[in-house]
Amino acid sequence: MKNIRAIFENTFKESLRQRILVLLIVFTLLMIMVSVFLEPFALGETSKIMRDFGLAATSIFAILTTIIIGSALIHKDVEKRTLYTVLAKPVRRSEIVIGKFLGLGALVTILVLAMLLIHQIVLVIYEGRFDLYLLVAFPFTVLEVSVILGILLLFSSFSSVTLTSIMGAIFFVVGHAMPDLKLFADTTDVAALKHIAYGFYYTLPNLENFNYRTDLAYRIPLQTDGILFSVSYGVIYTILLIYLTTIIFETREFK
Amino acid sequence: MRDALHLMPGARCMMLRRGTMGYLHHQVLYKPSNLCIFWDMPNAITLENITRSFRNHFWQRSREVLKGISLDIQKGEVFGFLGPNGAGKTTTIKIITGLIRPDSGCATIFGLHPNSLAAKRRIGFLPESPYFYEHLTGYEFIKIHAMLSGSNDEEDDVMHLVERVGLADARDVQLRSYSRGMLQRIGIAQALVGSPDLLILDEPLTGLDPIGRKDIKDLILEEKDKGTTIFFSSHILPDAEAVCDRVGIIIEGQMREVGRLNDVLKRDIETDAITLEEWFVRHAKKLE
Repeated sequence: MKNIRAIFENTFKESLRQRILVLLIVFTLLMIMVSVFLEPFALGETSKIMRDFGLAATSIFAILTTIIIGSALIHKDVEKRTLYTVLAKPVRRSEIVIGKFLGLGALVTILVLAMLLIHQIVLVIYEGRFDLYLLVAFPFTVLEVSVILGILLLFSSFSSVTLTSIMGAIFFVVGHAMPDLKLFADTTDVAALKHIAYGFYYTLPNLENFNYRTDLAYRIPLQTDGILFSVSYGVIYTILLIYLTTIIFETREFK
Repeated sequence: MRDALHLMPGARCMMLRRGTMGYLHHQVLYKPSNLCIFWDMPNAITLENITRSFRNHFWQRSREVLKGISLDIQKGEVFGFLGPNGAGKTTTIKIITGLIRPDSGCATIFGLHPNSLAAKRRIGFLPESPYFYEHLTGYEFIKIHAMLSGSNDEEDDVMHLVERVGLADARDVQLRSYSRGMLQRIGIAQALVGSPDLLILDEPLTGLDPIGRKDIKDLILEEKDKGTTIFFSSHILPDAEAVCDRVGIIIEGQMREVGRLNDVLKRDIETDAITLEEWFVRHAKKLE
């Protein structure tokens, strides 16, 4: 545990001190606040637009931060040889992977919570009351970040920063297009395409499982079994990704 | 362990025992009187016929970087691993530290597999031209390595090490602001975390000014007095000459000379008055 804590602390500090983080935070705050000025275009739906816009801005912030910082998490250490002194200490490589995952994951989690609280403050200023129901989005955003971070670590353990960040973005887009992929698989008549589409649907991460933004913005009650499925899906998928990353990282040589 | 042995009189060999963590080495000395003496005192580092090839791209032919390196580093000695650029020094060190695996042959540290946690608890490693986490201060950097080494008294250990390498005043400065010499010093401090039995230093004197070089040489000699084994590579030959008990010369992936410094210098030449640098230049030219 001490080793994981050391890697965790290092990753947390490293990520926190990245200058790009300030830009992303400012950008997100602007996005949250700009929703107030959309009233003329809202056609009486200002309240709902502010909620949806705020949640979307927080989610985009979380994913962008994760992709930008997470894609370099392992590869940069290998490229710059900063990992060599760590690997020479009595540390398991799995502890390095877990420590890095937890370090960046914790930072993004704290920032997402801060963004959601700022969103609440904006709502209080505009409407005079909190909407705490929106905070239900928090655990699902964290789960989505966990899956994306797992994918980034997996690619980061054997490929370049550029390829890793591209793969992170592709998985994010494809992950949110899963319902369309399922629809395509259900309706296509070409057997080969049907098998391929189902194959992708059941193996690639379905990030729509964590998307409750519309339900929350429109105050639609969430189903317990749906929540349980989303949480189990996110946790199991993340653990599998970290396990795969560890296997690859264990066998990797540092030439 | 007591396997049947067929050895020539006076021969030394290494036996591997299975079923233990890593590889446990036993040195076996066979004497003409048919008396075998066994003792379990593995060397600090043992390399047995190590080969390693690399290829830059899959369509290129692989290039053999190490061509059967064998080396025994005894406990408590300062061993200088010398050779020109591209000779295979860093590749050998990466094999010793478990960063890469040999194609064939066997490497052990105190009789243990280089990648075992037990072996890593006993080593401190400074890589060549080190880059460290720039966002950390010198103190934070050493503290993280102290945590990874399992140090029980982190605060005291960290402060002591930072002071020992002369960076007490810069302890709260981020590493991105450190000069090359300061980075080399903080790198040596992290290698010393946990008081390792074996220090592996890849070009520790590179990039240092004369004062810095003297400080690091003094530090190496202090560690030697404590009984620490030191294996370091260098191409700054006068400095190696000042601190080494033995040297090994590697050229084009092969060990050309291994021995006590004075013995190596006296070999194949007419006069005793020669520096390691002069010897190296003459010998390297002859071998090439």
